[in-house]
Amino acid sequence: MYKYNDFDEAFVRERVAQFRGQVERRIDGSLAEEEFRPLRLMNGLYLQLHAYMLRVAVPYGTLSSRQMNQLAFIADKWDRGYGHFTTRQNIQYNWPKLQDVPDMLSALADVEMHAIQTSGNTIRNVTSDHFAGAAADEIEDPRPWAELIRQWSTDHPEFQFLPRKFKIAVTGAPNDRAVVKAHDIGLQIVRNDAGEVGFEVIVGGGLGRTPMVGKVVNGFVPKEDILPYLEAIVSVYNLLGRRDNKYKARIKITVHENGLETIQKLVEEEFKTRKALFNGADRELFAQIAPQFAAPEFSAAPTDLFDATYNDDPVFRAWADTNLAEHRQPGYAIVTISLKPHGKTPGDATSDQMRVMADLAKEFAHDELRVSHEQNIVLPHVHKRHLPEIHARLRAVGLATANVGLISDIIACPGMDYCALATARSIPIAQEISTRFDALKLEHEIGDLKIKISGCINACGHHHVGHIGILGLDRAGVENYQITLGGDGSETTTIGERAGPGFSYTEIVPAIERLMLAYLDVRENAEETFLETYRRLGAEPFKAALYPDDTGKRKHAA
Amino acid sequence: MPHETNIDARVAHLNQRYANHGALDVLGRALKDDQVGRIALVSSFGAESVVLLHMISVLDVSTPVLFIDTQMLFEETVKYQQDVSSQLGLTDVRTIRARPDAVAAHDPEGLLHQTNTDACCDLRKTEPLERALGNFDAWITGRKRFQSNSRATLEFFENEGNKRIKVNPLAHWTPQDVQDYMINNRLPRHPLISKGYPSIGCAPCTSKVAPGEDPRSGRWRDQDKEECGIHFVNGKIVRGPLPKDPPMEEVKPMNTIVTDNGFAPDTGADDFVTVEELETSNAARAVDLPSDADPMVLQEVLERLETIRVDFPTFADGRGFTLARRLRLMGFTGKLRARGHVLADQYAMARRSGFDEVEISPELAERQPWDQWKVRAEWGAHDYQSRVRGTA
Repeated sequence: MYKYNDFDEAFVRERVAQFRGQVERRIDGSLAEEEFRPLRLMNGLYLQLHAYMLRVAVPYGTLSSRQMNQLAFIADKWDRGYGHFTTRQNIQYNWPKLQDVPDMLSALADVEMHAIQTSGNTIRNVTSDHFAGAAADEIEDPRPWAELIRQWSTDHPEFQFLPRKFKIAVTGAPNDRAVVKAHDIGLQIVRNDAGEVGFEVIVGGGLGRTPMVGKVVNGFVPKEDILPYLEAIVSVYNLLGRRDNKYKARIKITVHENGLETIQKLVEEEFKTRKALFNGADRELFAQIAPQFAAPEFSAAPTDLFDATYNDDPVFRAWADTNLAEHRQPGYAIVTISLKPHGKTPGDATSDQMRVMADLAKEFAHDELRVSHEQNIVLPHVHKRHLPEIHARLRAVGLATANVGLISDIIACPGMDYCALATARSIPIAQEISTRFDALKLEHEIGDLKIKISGCINACGHHHVGHIGILGLDRAGVENYQITLGGDGSETTTIGERAGPGFSYTEIVPAIERLMLAYLDVRENAEETFLETYRRLGAEPFKAALYPDDTGKRKHAA
Repeated sequence: MPHETNIDARVAHLNQRYANHGALDVLGRALKDDQVGRIALVSSFGAESVVLLHMISVLDVSTPVLFIDTQMLFEETVKYQQDVSSQLGLTDVRTIRARPDAVAAHDPEGLLHQTNTDACCDLRKTEPLERALGNFDAWITGRKRFQSNSRATLEFFENEGNKRIKVNPLAHWTPQDVQDYMINNRLPRHPLISKGYPSIGCAPCTSKVAPGEDPRSGRWRDQDKEECGIHFVNGKIVRGPLPKDPPMEEVKPMNTIVTDNGFAPDTGADDFVTVEELETSNAARAVDLPSDADPMVLQEVLERLETIRVDFPTFADGRGFTLARRLRLMGFTGKLRARGHVLADQYAMARRSGFDEVEISPELAERQPWDQWKVRAEWGAHDYQSRVRGTA
């Protein structure tokens, strides 16, 4: 894992001191609220429905046990004993007090963490593949690049007041687990025909109210050119992006309105001059960063204990079948700890649960944890012989839910329960779906399925790329839920299609149930996933299940 | 209800009946009088609100108190509301807010107040209050005659658009009466009063008031706006300019130039021309570049220019930073100045992007004095860019 050097350390301390001063100046009136707002946003502090919300960066989702323990400490000392892990691989605290926030930031700095650029119209925390460094299909570990980009983008003087927020994701594997095509810039590590490793640069993806799949602006940018190339894109955007309308300010709209070719031309021109600003120091910096992400020393111990428990214990087996992923090292596994217990808020973890996960990481997992964009926690390197004990200890604190990748492994935004922008509830829908299918005992039968729920058109719950997406809207004061089908957030990113008229709060869960029964009915066999079935048959059988009455009624309702 | 239906008649009657009563009497009777009907106190929990709240707590703690939380309030106000409510034992404080969908539709970013304060007041105050008052026949306000010209003839009872009666028990109070009442009853003060806010509304539209200024001058400062839209004058919502004394003749103060060495007055030594004027004026050595300009328009004349002044219409418009970097990349070696709404906190960004100095207004220089810029004047320190670029 990356270890702060003296510079990084001094930097975050300085930022804490600056923010402490800004809070004081806000309180004494020398900063107006509208002037304080972007400054607090640059330090991750939002004003939510009930209170302030502090969003803490977990760079590319990587945490040590010490850091996880500190997150638990902060939750206990300044919040209500829990934190919420987000789809941006961050953690959010929902109840901090303004005057405590500088102390919280100071406590974060104690463990080499910060909340810098987790909000505001700037380059946000860089996200990455939560299986990085462990996945079997990786070309190269994306995390050193993510760290280099973190350093480059942090406090970048030109890019603190962009037209709108700007999100960059990096992945090193052909199977995209970082949804790079739904980011402002997606970087896909690729190998070219000459066998060299570089980046495919994707620009202008995003969800929100105008979902767009990113477009390739350059198929191969050599590694050493990546920073000037990024700088060229963002500076072109800074001048060209719209500032007259917040809803048209993201780079996806800039690309859409100006055309990919124009953007390509401007970026290539800008890149030529920007390149002169980089003289190789960035490569030296990278050379210092990369070794810190070296793989741990793997053990060659036997896995008998795992095999025996797997055969004897059906509860363990169910968990192992869903929550483990293939590790590139034989005898090892990647463990996903589900933060989606049936009927609970997706992504929430109590301080006690955080401490248990930290202990397990320290004892059994080379002291590393990851936050996944699917709002789960990952132990990336675990020798299989430790899995029975890990499972038992997770179970003791309610963290052994065997549902990763299943219907109850739902991504949901905070919705109207917390968010000032939301137009409908989303967490209760997630809770009811997961409780319902748990009661029906159909979850494992249904198998691989991603449901994603957003409580408003801004799409923080990524509903556009859910195999089933649910979008909660407000129709004349009544919650109304629209269903989209066939979305996909992987390397074959697809925006889901609207199935038809929406459903009321009480109708939506039964509608999902009808949809699932229809799928079980029409799939070719147990191996054919919902998404595969949808692609084979199209939307019709599912629409028929959703709207059984007649088609005339649909026309009428639309 | 057994009272007269004509509100005008009731108001006249009430004003006559209570003409010679004190504030507490008026309030006490308004709470009971059938001619008034169902009544609520509308309180901002601002600088002087505690007076009426205290009176209510003495007369009837169960009187409904409507607190309009515009979600733009000072944190201190929100806390003060909770403290005062519990200290006085008020049992029916109702928090009134705009509907979330209305906010999402009209002010999702919370920035409406920057462009249209009236619309913001409508969204966050007038409409929610109107909705909340739907069930009442009358409401109590803390307005006083001394507060503004438009309130100079305020009576105890008013007809509000033939919909409701408005009761103003403190109409005749002077500022000293308010202070005396607060001192005599040992009432808690709003924490912002001691910080220079004698009148407190929403955070974005309330500023400090200098000694000697009108206490309400900190509300919607520099705008022709006196009322938030929840009050009416002569049956009409108060909007737009009201008659005022002619402004004093004053000399326009100079802008301030900020450099690493401190503040200096802008002597106006450079004669800035527009980009268009450059073409006809071969002698011009200084140009103003708007934030939406393409810097390439200066390519041909770059060599003869000594100073380029880049505009920052608002601090949130970060184009100027990239414009400065571009101009440096184009080879400009002269003086680069950022002018406009640049914050102390952006000084390091400006310097690192290639600016030499920043030009700010007297108002900004006063609000953010040099010591606030000074802490960012060591802009070379803690700079990731110089490490990434090998210029450390």
